[in-house]
Amino acid sequence: MKSAWRWFLLAPPLALLLVFFVVPVVYLFWVSLHAGSTSELYGASLTLRNYGEIIGDPFYLTIVRRTLGIAAVILGLCLAIGYPVAYFVALLPTRQRMVAILLLLFPLMVSNVVRAYGWVALLERRGVVNTTLSDLRLIDAPLDLLYTPSAVVVALMTILLPYMVISIANTLTALDRRYLEAAQALGASPLRTFLHVTLPLSSPGIASGALLVFLLTLSAYVTITLVGGPRSKLLVSLIYDSVTAFQWPRAAALAFVLLALALAFTGVMLALLRPGRVQGSGR
Amino acid sequence: MTKVPTAGSALRGAATLVAFALIVVPILIVVVAAFSPNDYFQFPPPALSMRWFVEFFGLDNMRGAFALSVELALASATIATVLGTFAALFLARRGGALANVLQSLFVAPLVFPTIILGVALLLLYKTIGMPVFAGLLLAHCVVGMPYGFRTVLASAQALDPSLEEAGQSLGAGPLRTLVLVTLPLIWPGVLAGWLFAFIVSFGELNTALFLTGPGVTTLPIEIFSYLQFQGSQLVIAAASSVQIALIVLLVTVIERVVGIARITRAR
Amino acid sequence: MSEETADVRLVSVRKRFGGVVAVDGVSLDIGRGTIFSLLGPSGCGKTTTLRLIAGFEQPDAGDIYIRGARVTPMPPYRRDFSMVFQSYALFPHLNVAENVAFGLRMRRIARGDRGRSVDEALALVKLEALADRYPRQLSGGQQQRVALARAIVVKPAVLLLDEPLGALDKLLREEMQVELRSLQQRLGITAVFVTHDQEEALTLSDRVAVMRNGVIEQIGAPRDIYDHPRNAFVASFLGASNFIDGIVVGREAASIVVETPAARVCVPGDKPTGERVRIAVRPERLRMERGDADGLSARIRDIVYRGPITHFYLDSAAGPLLSYRQNARASEWTIGDEVRCAWDVDSAVVLDGPGE
Repeated sequence: MKSAWRWFLLAPPLALLLVFFVVPVVYLFWVSLHAGSTSELYGASLTLRNYGEIIGDPFYLTIVRRTLGIAAVILGLCLAIGYPVAYFVALLPTRQRMVAILLLLFPLMVSNVVRAYGWVALLERRGVVNTTLSDLRLIDAPLDLLYTPSAVVVALMTILLPYMVISIANTLTALDRRYLEAAQALGASPLRTFLHVTLPLSSPGIASGALLVFLLTLSAYVTITLVGGPRSKLLVSLIYDSVTAFQWPRAAALAFVLLALALAFTGVMLALLRPGRVQGSGR
Repeated sequence: MTKVPTAGSALRGAATLVAFALIVVPILIVVVAAFSPNDYFQFPPPALSMRWFVEFFGLDNMRGAFALSVELALASATIATVLGTFAALFLARRGGALANVLQSLFVAPLVFPTIILGVALLLLYKTIGMPVFAGLLLAHCVVGMPYGFRTVLASAQALDPSLEEAGQSLGAGPLRTLVLVTLPLIWPGVLAGWLFAFIVSFGELNTALFLTGPGVTTLPIEIFSYLQFQGSQLVIAAASSVQIALIVLLVTVIERVVGIARITRAR
Repeated sequence: MSEETADVRLVSVRKRFGGVVAVDGVSLDIGRGTIFSLLGPSGCGKTTTLRLIAGFEQPDAGDIYIRGARVTPMPPYRRDFSMVFQSYALFPHLNVAENVAFGLRMRRIARGDRGRSVDEALALVKLEALADRYPRQLSGGQQQRVALARAIVVKPAVLLLDEPLGALDKLLREEMQVELRSLQQRLGITAVFVTHDQEEALTLSDRVAVMRNGVIEQIGAPRDIYDHPRNAFVASFLGASNFIDGIVVGREAASIVVETPAARVCVPGDKPTGERVRIAVRPERLRMERGDADGLSARIRDIVYRGPITHFYLDSAAGPLLSYRQNARASEWTIGDEVRCAWDVDSAVVLDGPGE
């Protein structure tokens, strides 16, 4: 009997999400459609100028291109390294597999600022890498490893890799071995079994891992700033700078450009991998 | 799958070793550095010293940030998990279009870029004049709720629906059924959700970046500020190690209570 | 049946789920202290009917009464019933004694009285020794008994059982059938149970309702509906049946004379001359005799040995026929034999409707 009291269960969480998630984001979009103002939070007139400026200005476009480029490299690396690792983990006996997953989960629980700091400690001029290399007499002067795009890529890639591995490993673990046996019974070699059966059937895991990695890359302000340095700006850095400069409409428009990139990627991922055909929909 | 070691599996094993090293080494470096006796970072350290931990707890702003982070995490995890549990119980046996929409909504904060949420909330708070701690608390409740929602939903859906009907057939009304039948069976999900929400809040950066203020700052943000403006100092390593230690402690305690299988599956 | 002796009464109850009508105008009365079963194939509405009595579903039309009280608007926890679920639904976090005591707790029975009732109930199902065990430590059969004890300890007006023996193996099932019946009679509880197993329904019930597509095809005592099925569906759902079609050509005392492709037969019944009818004869009533006796001509197509009984599959001008013979002595028949099929006049039934 679906009694009315059940709605009392729904009301508080729904209210929280509506008031402190949906409303602020909609309000932010609303603000992005206004002109800037020096005295108020935002100006009075409605305009699409903010978006126009972003799309038209080569500076912004360069930043967006750079952001997407770095995100693509990180995604590629996470896939290239993450899939074999996930495969390995998925094949482990249950007990060992659970330990491996826990070992992967644990770094995710450590705050990103700590993990970024770890890379700073590794790559800075007086850092572990440089002092080790110079102690081994392999270099004469410390290398400039930090504050480069490569440093950002390496740091973010290792920070986000567990998401990819866990996502794919869970899908592979759930994969019914009998599909593979059926393929082999039909004459497929191990490589072809992998390409035609395992890989497609693991597409939901690939999709969700890729989505997480891409979205988190776009938003990783702290890591990008610490490891990339104050001069290497990506889209998220511009958002932060606009906010600290109280340029709210500009910040809002940039935020929605970022959101648009995220949505576009999500759309592409779902269309390409079509995870729905493997998982089925709804209940 | 055959267990014959092949070139493929050797490569995969090597890749796994490299990957784990890359992932874990930066964290280990930080922890080791925290015990360094000197001013500068040395690896391997010549001896172990607690001086940086002493300094960490001696600095007012550090101590304050740590305390605030713990309070914030405790409060937001509890509120978030209670609300997430409510939502999960509501949706557990419901199907249909509305239920699907609601379910997507409750999971949305997990995929939505939290940096944008931080900006949006700061704008809202400035417009309506929200006190700093309350605003931060609410932001962390939003961020933490999906965890409890997901774990409790999984637990509740795994329950045999006849159990609740059995309770009713024996005379237990909806509330008593919830308390005497449902809750005792889903509490591991609730606990796992609380744990994730706590850990996420404790390490959270993207909303705290915008929503902290003078006197009201979290430990990760404090670490970030130090790193940005005062460079790499070993007291930061101590601060980071304290953060790590708390998490290890929490996970160990919960694992004893709930079991490793539940935690890895609940994810 | 008068309203005073009917413990459960459904009046024109109707329930639909989306576009499907699960229960379509069902009315029935269940007498106090009787076992009533709802029998039918999957999707016939029997489980929905049971859940309507329980209150887990609300009818779109009609009313439900338990012990004379109109319970239609009442939620399950206010109705006077208890239920044994198909999955037993024992609370995993409570031990056997606590499970059984649950209903008593809800009725705010004092602890001392609770303990005594629990012990009594467990003794009735012979599980006193397992009071401290948890459900996961019990076998399927033991869990089923605990579920039963939990349901009867509250002394409900009506006990509902949803395919209670479905998960048990054949031997255990037959044992439980006997125990269930003796328990019910000892306690005098009114019981309604749902099953798709016609043997079970015939064994356990005082009355059976055969359902199909949300409608009750026939209600009656097991013997009555077995010997006098109303239509072809009931005839073939409750055991096997032979069907012979023909045309009514005359009348003779209380019977009609039917011309079939194979022979002219007499069947009890009352149908107008010229009407097409279908006759049903149970295989155990269809005798096979030597080729020159009276009766339908047929030839043995196949013989299947089934332990105590042998099935004989026959071909005749009236269509395929089935005959059961008890294996009291060695069989004298072989495949290909020509036989004459006959039955006592009272063994045949005229069915309603043109058949399925």
